[in-house]
Amino acid sequence: MARHDRRVGYTLPTVLAVLLHVGVIGLTVFRWPQSDPVETSNAVVQAELISMETATDQAQQATEAQPKAQQGPEREQPEPEATQDDAAEETARQQAEAAEQAREQAAQEAQEAAQRRAEQAREVATQQMQEQQAREKSEAEAKQKAEAEAKQKAEAEAKQKAEAEAKQKAEAEAKQKAEAEAKKKAEAEAKKKAEAEAKKKAEAEAKKKAEAEAKKKAEAEAAAKKKAAAEAAAKKKAEADRKRAAEAAAAASQDAFGDEITNEAESIANARQAQEASNGFMNLVRRAVEQSWSRPPNAASGLVTVVRVQLLPTGELLSATVSSSSGDPGFDRSAVQAVERAAPFTEMSQLPAEARQKFRSFNLRFNPEDVR
Amino acid sequence: MNDSMSIISLFFHAGLIVQLIMLILLAASVLSWVLIFQRAFALKRDERDLDEFESHFWSGVDLNELYREVPADNPQGAAHIFRSGFREFNRLLPKSRSHNAVLEGVERSMRVSVSREEERLTTHLAILAIISSSAVYVGLFGTVWGILGTFQALGGAQQVSLGTIAPAIAEALVATAMGLFAAIPANIGYNRLTHKADKLMVRMENFAEEFHAFLHRNLQNRSTGENT
Repeated sequence: MARHDRRVGYTLPTVLAVLLHVGVIGLTVFRWPQSDPVETSNAVVQAELISMETATDQAQQATEAQPKAQQGPEREQPEPEATQDDAAEETARQQAEAAEQAREQAAQEAQEAAQRRAEQAREVATQQMQEQQAREKSEAEAKQKAEAEAKQKAEAEAKQKAEAEAKQKAEAEAKQKAEAEAKKKAEAEAKKKAEAEAKKKAEAEAKKKAEAEAKKKAEAEAAAKKKAAAEAAAKKKAEADRKRAAEAAAAASQDAFGDEITNEAESIANARQAQEASNGFMNLVRRAVEQSWSRPPNAASGLVTVVRVQLLPTGELLSATVSSSSGDPGFDRSAVQAVERAAPFTEMSQLPAEARQKFRSFNLRFNPEDVR
Repeated sequence: MNDSMSIISLFFHAGLIVQLIMLILLAASVLSWVLIFQRAFALKRDERDLDEFESHFWSGVDLNELYREVPADNPQGAAHIFRSGFREFNRLLPKSRSHNAVLEGVERSMRVSVSREEERLTTHLAILAIISSSAVYVGLFGTVWGILGTFQALGGAQQVSLGTIAPAIAEALVATAMGLFAAIPANIGYNRLTHKADKLMVRMENFAEEFHAFLHRNLQNRSTGENT
């Protein structure tokens, strides 16, 4: 009966419990991925978009492409003008050309941005808008001219500086060489000391002269710089004021149509975003049509129907016609009915206007065999 | 996909409070299993001891010998009842003249030891009961908290799809799963262990009654022996 003294300890149960939990966690970790089912397409029916570009779409895209192509040369026009003005001077100042071109491009971009804003405003706005555009344009041109002048001056300064620096460098190098030679001679040949001293004196005089000239030049350059800087600052101020006024006017006009204009600008600027949005819209349409498609039970396998869908800009269905029949009229009818039931596609209104035009007409392919 | 939905990764992706609740539930689960194992072993041993003692007791052994065999310090089970009852009997028998007084004292002493045994058998079962009843609610709280956070986060989102909600909801639901994981074994263990303990208690009470009857008979025999 000695057993009565022994109490059941807690170490063994603790070990067992911990082992049990570790086992359970291990099961969840290692078994879980295996038992996870392979991803299956949950679509009962797949309606595939085979071509978004129909004949009408292509025509529309062509018409869309034309203004873009026209816009291109328009933007490039200011460049030759500016270069012609500067041409005579630039031939003499080829070194500073690259910098100048970069600045000109920046200015052109600014001008283009202003033009774009003006065009956008033109499309939507009233006569007030047009007046503002005219103002903006004149201001932008004035800006450009002022900038070009400032650039020319800056280039001239840059050239002068470069020349002065080159001269100074050449003088300094000449000095150093002469000194080095003189030292060598003095150390190596004691006889030629007198000659060396004479040379040194001559060099010193030359140095003094050169330094004096350099000082004069530097002073002249500094004075020129100050003048140019003052002028440039004044011009900049004037430009900044003009810009502010222009921006304020543009902002006032843009506020009214802000979102639409920005959306349009984005859709024009990045075709990728538009494509993504269009893909999203196509998926939505496809899913909606899939869900509302009740396939006729007695339909034979291997049937494929292509339905031409035409939409209004609001997303409402204009027409759904069978463009490529499967041969089974019941099957075709079910496909058309599916589209009619799925309409309207109200997501259309959320698309940017450019993308909206694209989806006015597209084809849907009904192919139940794609699933299984 | 597989990695993102495993329990471990869901745990690590959950919010702080949900993680805390999950840790509490894990601790509760471990504790409940420790108690289940410990109580199961202890009750099994008690049952075996009771079997042994009863068979020994009814084998016709001399009670004084049995009393000596039983360990004096901290006996358990039926031995405890027997020892306290027999000690009381031996103490009272020489002092009191009335048999009833002796039997009353023995009965009282045995009742005390029976209740002591009951207390011993049902130790920690209350903890199991608490875990079994409250773990579910704690887990639900974690889930509700997680879903709350999810919806707060969704409020700022532009486009809400099933793909954005599902992982967060799954994270939150892990808390409920863990609550159930802790509560179900605790509940089953609690019911089973209380049943076992009750059965043992009934047997011990029966033994106490039988021993009481035995002593009563013994006293009757003595009194008749004295009278004649």
